[in-house]
Amino acid sequence: MEFDLKTIEALAPDQASLSAASRLTKQSNWPRLEKSEQLAIIWGECQGSGSNPYRVVVDTGDHGYKCTCPSRKFPCKHTLALMWIAATTPASFVAADSTPEWVNDWLGRRRKTTSQPAAPVPAAGGKSIGEALRDDESAAVEDAAAIERREAAQRKRAQDTRSSVSAALDELDQWIADQLRLGLAGFVDNSSDRCRRIAARLVDMKATALAGRIDDIPSRLMGLRSEERPDAAIRELGKLVLLAKAWRSTPDDAELRRLVSTSESREQVLANPDAIQVDSVWEVLGEKIETRRDGLVSHSTWLLDLNSASPRFALLLDYFPASAGRRSNAFTPGDRFDARLVFYPARQPLRALVVDRKGDVSSGQWPAFGFDAADPLASHVAHQDTAPWLTDCPIMLPPGAILLDDRGDAWWQSADNPHGIALPIADTVNPTLLGLDLAATATLWSGSRLHLLAAQSGFGRLDLS
Amino acid sequence: MNEIEQTGLATMRDRWITGGTSFDLAPAAWKEIAAGANPEERERRLLAIAAQALEIALRPAAPKTLKRRPPLPELALPMLPERLRPPLRAALKHAADARAKSRVVALVASRGFVLHPMDWMPAASDQTSPDVYAPWIDWQAGVDGEKHTDREQLTAQNWDDFYPAARRSALADMRRTAPAVARQLIETKGSSEPAEIRLPLIALMHFGLGPDDVPFLKSLSADRSGKVRELAGRLLARLGQHGQPGDGGQENPTAELAAFITEGKSGFIRRRTTYTPATLKSPAQERRRAELFETCNLVDLAARFGVTEPDFIGAWQFGADNNVDILVARMVAASGSDASVTHMADTLVAEGGKPALFVLHLMPRLDSRRQRVLIRLILKDTQYLGALSLAEGIEAGWLDWADLTNGKTLPALRAAVAGNDDAVKRGADQLLETLGFLVTAAAADKLIGDVVAAGMAPAAPSLGLLRLNASLAGP
Repeated sequence: MEFDLKTIEALAPDQASLSAASRLTKQSNWPRLEKSEQLAIIWGECQGSGSNPYRVVVDTGDHGYKCTCPSRKFPCKHTLALMWIAATTPASFVAADSTPEWVNDWLGRRRKTTSQPAAPVPAAGGKSIGEALRDDESAAVEDAAAIERREAAQRKRAQDTRSSVSAALDELDQWIADQLRLGLAGFVDNSSDRCRRIAARLVDMKATALAGRIDDIPSRLMGLRSEERPDAAIRELGKLVLLAKAWRSTPDDAELRRLVSTSESREQVLANPDAIQVDSVWEVLGEKIETRRDGLVSHSTWLLDLNSASPRFALLLDYFPASAGRRSNAFTPGDRFDARLVFYPARQPLRALVVDRKGDVSSGQWPAFGFDAADPLASHVAHQDTAPWLTDCPIMLPPGAILLDDRGDAWWQSADNPHGIALPIADTVNPTLLGLDLAATATLWSGSRLHLLAAQSGFGRLDLS
Repeated sequence: MNEIEQTGLATMRDRWITGGTSFDLAPAAWKEIAAGANPEERERRLLAIAAQALEIALRPAAPKTLKRRPPLPELALPMLPERLRPPLRAALKHAADARAKSRVVALVASRGFVLHPMDWMPAASDQTSPDVYAPWIDWQAGVDGEKHTDREQLTAQNWDDFYPAARRSALADMRRTAPAVARQLIETKGSSEPAEIRLPLIALMHFGLGPDDVPFLKSLSADRSGKVRELAGRLLARLGQHGQPGDGGQENPTAELAAFITEGKSGFIRRRTTYTPATLKSPAQERRRAELFETCNLVDLAARFGVTEPDFIGAWQFGADNNVDILVARMVAASGSDASVTHMADTLVAEGGKPALFVLHLMPRLDSRRQRVLIRLILKDTQYLGALSLAEGIEAGWLDWADLTNGKTLPALRAAVAGNDDAVKRGADQLLETLGFLVTAAAADKLIGDVVAAGMAPAAPSLGLLRLNASLAGP
């Protein structure tokens, strides 16, 4: 380890980064801290504000670094914190036998220009480690009056938001009635413009999450064949009506607030006694990274609970600005780890945060889940019974196979009932998949298409995301 | 959802598509829920009910004709262990083209494993993958129906029970052990196959090619496919049989090619015949000469000059014109007898230097001993290391650490890795990839350590195949 605090001080872009880094040096923030003496690198996973941990690697030789967080500061607070731990408590790093694939990826991509450590920029702008530590200590001190003022302001903001959102939903109702009056054929043809306009209004009126969902409708419609789009439009708009009605009846409901306006913070979820916590072994089924029309990139990571008798899923969801560039994936499909997850309170808890990641687990088969032989969408129907406004639903399909229709489009069909229900698949499938018997398939059902995530087959685990 | 509701939903849906109110069209039960509100709210309530009905009560209408592919057959070798799939995928990802990928596949097969089908699948037209993949090639070719492709003896009776790739693989094995039986099968059954299947079948005759095959190959001179006639001519030429002269003397391509070659003498005391490429006047003539080298046979060309094949090769002045030398080497590889191929290889390898590189074109026809001698020569010499990547048809995983330390290869690699010249570094990367295929697992391990010590990034993509090779050492 070749770090001292002066080097870190010099590398930090500003005092705020140092202060933020000092708060991240607690061991509890770092479920994984490892090193390779041979390669002169250290790496770790930091549980930041996102659902996915940030992966940080630092070359102790030349001080090169990489972090998967979307920060535009270089080095970011996570990198500085990792260096800080290396400088102060180097024993925290466990010597690893091999480097993880994401570290190898970074090593393979980077080109060393010099074997000498990059000369740190002389400390400027009054950056100081000592001050960062003092910031940290003084942060806890706040007088009672200030707390009262802050809480009053928060209550006022919440009330204003509620009024604004209520007005937004009135506008949405009127907009939906207009679409029905003008005809859904025209709505389908002009969905992009029409949805953009109402979404912009909803953003102005603080119904941000709902705006994002409406912005997504055109692409969901365009992913279907033209004859399917009117029905899909009915489903999308009808669910908006249901969501708006549900919010009006219980505006303080955490799930509905999350779907209509804004999501609670990580800290709020952790502090919520209604949030379910599940200790289990989780397998990463797959990831979905989509750029949304509002300029944010949504990064979904789907997990499967391997200790549950019936299929239980978890979704780690993060948003970051598209302008931050492509992020490295936090997980590799097929990874398994022992962890405690906390679920955002909901009628069908799905979105979750990793609270405590204990270690990796070796791969193997999925448990033998029980399936509803008659209806592969039974779990989706159950979800809809309690939360009819939901769109995508993860389901585990029973033994089946992928078949092609005359147009070359792919369908999943149950092995037990070859003449029964078949479900259309959204994307083009790898032709090899057509020859494999699938013992179980983890998918997302969007109401009209399956999005394949992963499957178990005679050829082992198949990564389909 | 009952029938009344379904009918009601359909009519409401049609009304909404064109625009308008649907309350009057709604089923009675739905009307009851929606009633008691203003017209717009009624429509929204009905929309919510309709949305849920569509979501829950209806299922996608599956087409009547969904086609199921036959199950992908299991192969005779075990699947690569799961823990080795990440390095395998890294090696495949880094392999630039199909040829480089097929080397990865061949290396894995040489260690007794096959790839996971989601990592790699042979193409339907694949004829270079290890034989173990024949069932997958046939599966890819999409021949429907149940046929048994297991390893029973191929006969005229069960010919149609084998898919084409499995048949090719069985025939290739048979040509090595019982060439006459295989020939008889190709003769009996091949004639009824279309040209695109007949051609690769006859190409299999090169395994165990011998004088007994002459009558059959001669009979193919009347084959309806030009490509089959040309291939048969090449195979006959390898057996020393002269091709048919052209109908008119002036159009004899061998005579035309001979005119592009200068016959001379050298030496003061013992005058020796020499053959060199004639100096041509135009690029058009050079193109024509190249075409003729592609189509003419060595035995005919040598006869045109009144000498034997080995004499012609011995008198050819390698080094005078690089491009023509390559054409000669290719002609020898395509139509030279086994004796002339080994003669040329032995002569040029003994000579060493640049001419030895022309032997790379003969690789697929050389025995493994001669292949290895040439590879070792190139490694020891160090000057033309880049040419190693051109070698085709060589075995995987036999080159020892001693072979690498025998010459200047390692110092050259270390210098390239440690230096700052990007072009030299790219050359080193290419060589490491080639060596990744050639070396033993132990040598791969040592080589990785050596170049990493010299400054190469431990996770450099060009070390991917070496890493896979090293990890395939054992359980």
